[in-house]
Amino acid sequence: MAQPRQSPDDLYATETSDTQAETEAVLLKHVPADPESPPPLQKAQHLQFLVRNLTQGFPSRYTSQDASQPWLLYWTLQSFSVMGVAMDPDNKQKAINTILAWQHPEGGFGGGPGQAAHLLPTYAAVCALAIVGRPGPGGGWDQIDREKLYNFFLSLKEPDGSFLVSHGAEVDVRGTYCLLVVAYVLNLLTPELLEGMPAFIASCQTYEGGFSSASQPYFSAESDGTTKLLDDIRPPLGEAHGGYTFCALASWIMLQPYLNLQDPASPRPSVEYKRLMRWLVQMQGSEIELGGFRGRTNKLVDGCYSWWVGGCFALLASQGVGGGHGQDADHTSTTHEDEEWDDVEEFVWNKLALQRYILCAAQHPASGLRDKPPKSADSYHTLYCLAGLSAAQHNIYPSPARQAQLDQAWQLPSDEQNHELRKTAFTEALSWSEEEGTSHVLGSQANRVNATHPIFNLTMTHTEGIMSHFYKQTVPRRK
Amino acid sequence: MEDEPLFADRPEWADVVPLEQYEGVIPLAPIFYTNEYKDATNYFRGIVKTGEMSPRVLDLTENIIRQNPAHYSAWQYRYKTLIFLNAPLDVELRLMDELAVKYLKTYQVWHHRRLLVQQTKNPAPELEFIADSLQIDTKNYHTWSYRQWILAHFNDDALWSRELEFVESMLNYDLRNNSAWHHRFFVVFQSGVRKGDEDRAEVVRRELTFVKTKISTAPNNASAWNYLRGVLDHSKTPYSSLKSFVTPYSVPHSSHQDVTSEDIVDLENPLPSPGAQLPCVAAIEFMADAHESNGGDDLMRATELWRSLADEHDTMRKKYWEYRIKEALQNVR
Repeated sequence: MAQPRQSPDDLYATETSDTQAETEAVLLKHVPADPESPPPLQKAQHLQFLVRNLTQGFPSRYTSQDASQPWLLYWTLQSFSVMGVAMDPDNKQKAINTILAWQHPEGGFGGGPGQAAHLLPTYAAVCALAIVGRPGPGGGWDQIDREKLYNFFLSLKEPDGSFLVSHGAEVDVRGTYCLLVVAYVLNLLTPELLEGMPAFIASCQTYEGGFSSASQPYFSAESDGTTKLLDDIRPPLGEAHGGYTFCALASWIMLQPYLNLQDPASPRPSVEYKRLMRWLVQMQGSEIELGGFRGRTNKLVDGCYSWWVGGCFALLASQGVGGGHGQDADHTSTTHEDEEWDDVEEFVWNKLALQRYILCAAQHPASGLRDKPPKSADSYHTLYCLAGLSAAQHNIYPSPARQAQLDQAWQLPSDEQNHELRKTAFTEALSWSEEEGTSHVLGSQANRVNATHPIFNLTMTHTEGIMSHFYKQTVPRRK
Repeated sequence: MEDEPLFADRPEWADVVPLEQYEGVIPLAPIFYTNEYKDATNYFRGIVKTGEMSPRVLDLTENIIRQNPAHYSAWQYRYKTLIFLNAPLDVELRLMDELAVKYLKTYQVWHHRRLLVQQTKNPAPELEFIADSLQIDTKNYHTWSYRQWILAHFNDDALWSRELEFVESMLNYDLRNNSAWHHRFFVVFQSGVRKGDEDRAEVVRRELTFVKTKISTAPNNASAWNYLRGVLDHSKTPYSSLKSFVTPYSVPHSSHQDVTSEDIVDLENPLPSPGAQLPCVAAIEFMADAHESNGGDDLMRATELWRSLADEHDTMRKKYWEYRIKEALQNVR
């Protein structure tokens, strides 16, 4: 393979082009001699890295994550799941007991025992329980105080449809995403909770196409003494960013069942998909960057964006944008006029190149995965590199056939409140399916990792398990 | 901090009952804290339980924050205590000047500042503080969004008056700093109309001139091209109106060497710098988009350009450029 080209700096060096050039010099050493044969995924070593943390505990430099204990556990457990490993019953029970110690007496989960409830650790704790928990006494699921949790959510809501991440704390789209995932999984969706969220999310899209952390509301003083949120001046705070973009786009998709139940005549906020798609593909680094993703324009590639940006394409495709939207094997019954176009199973991004970045550059030579060489590995990067690898290998799409099947099997719950909204949320969330025979594994088949839910980042099995419990449904077997 | 005694050894803390983190639970994957951290957080849990809000709580929370600035509960409790005690917030802000710079990357230092400034209602010194912080970390997300919040929240003409000057100084230092470009868009197009900017067509002209100059200095700068597209999209200006500016950037140097040697300088359409590495991918993409929106025969020109990106100039995005070709042809049928 010819040596890949360095990024042009037009003989005009600045801090950005200097750090870019330094990074390229390091990454160049990791370009494989044969692009089709990257180093294997060192599953055993990565498992060992995770198990060591789990059984021996985290070294003291992890004190900075003391307020993120649910995250440390979720990253570890979900990394196991992606690599196809389950825990023994003893450790599962230990995990459940630990997670329950993080639940706040007033609802929600904190970053550790005695810490204030916060939307981000609440997501991590509930997802960790989806992996290791079960119904019944001591199983974790039925010990979640859903009523207090719901009230906690409402207490964080702002007039512009955004949410504080915790009482007295900041607003950003990570909070919206975490809240929505939890409300989906635990069957807590109501119009009261969702009202105003779509417009807030839409307002975070920047001129570049990606999304920012939040937006600034402006209010007008009305003659009757009240204030009114202004629609036409709602600037994003901060530039387009990979992490916020994933959270915003996944939220946007979770809001579709709610939006579709609104009066069609009422104004509907919108997201510019084409600009978003352009920004997403622009985040993929060039050959010399091994096709890894960066998180912002003119920043460096980083393994974690394998998921935050790489994970966005399946979400976008589910809205019919950007190709690669999967198809049910038996789709002859429905006739598309544009059949020819639909048949083309193509993606707008370079899935093989991303796998190359993860295998060649993001694996630490000892164990675990990382941002980029020569950095050390950590739990966060280990999960998001693995999840990104999964997104690059599999083609997961919302299957209409599967949704119909779930719809048919739906049992009317005794509590009929918001029935239509909850049913649609349930069937849409569980309709995501893997398109038969379309996985693309770079290198040996041993590099294959499990598929993960494109919105929740849980495996399909774990998603079905916990959702069927909280919606009181029996999920039909996949055909 | 290591020379300070543990809270457990301080007589003035003897009345507080420290609380262990895990009681009756053997945690999976515990963190091995230092003694100092364990000690301080045990006392913090003790305080939270009794609800005490006193000056010594400020010492305790500062101690924890210095060991772990991401301890959001300590920050929240600290703020509640400051307000409860009616403590002088300017003193707190000076402490934050130190901590913000030390812990630039944590959400909490910036949010705490926001809460304080909302109370002191004195935003003006903040702009200078932010400018200094950005010297250290020029693309810090929290710092930039904090600046945008200061401007929008207080929305005072005096605050806004020197923002363009500020952006320009940041871009003079590094014209590839995307955070600065985003800030410019925020200031010029998304925050209402400032004094002197009432003529919107003139503002668009000014911005186009600005971004063209930056592109000519270093054409392979995605931030500048994204800004250019942002201005055009926002003002609904067709891309094709910039063809004469963009064309020289979309072809190899040799094709326009004759032009550069001439004395006539077209200020509207600055040419690529002598060091420019051409053709520039963003310029080819721009030309293709301009051709596509013209439609008709120009569509073939667009597809040729996309093809050249897919096969030669931007092969990483081959699939995307091929998708653009298919989409464009699809829409014609």
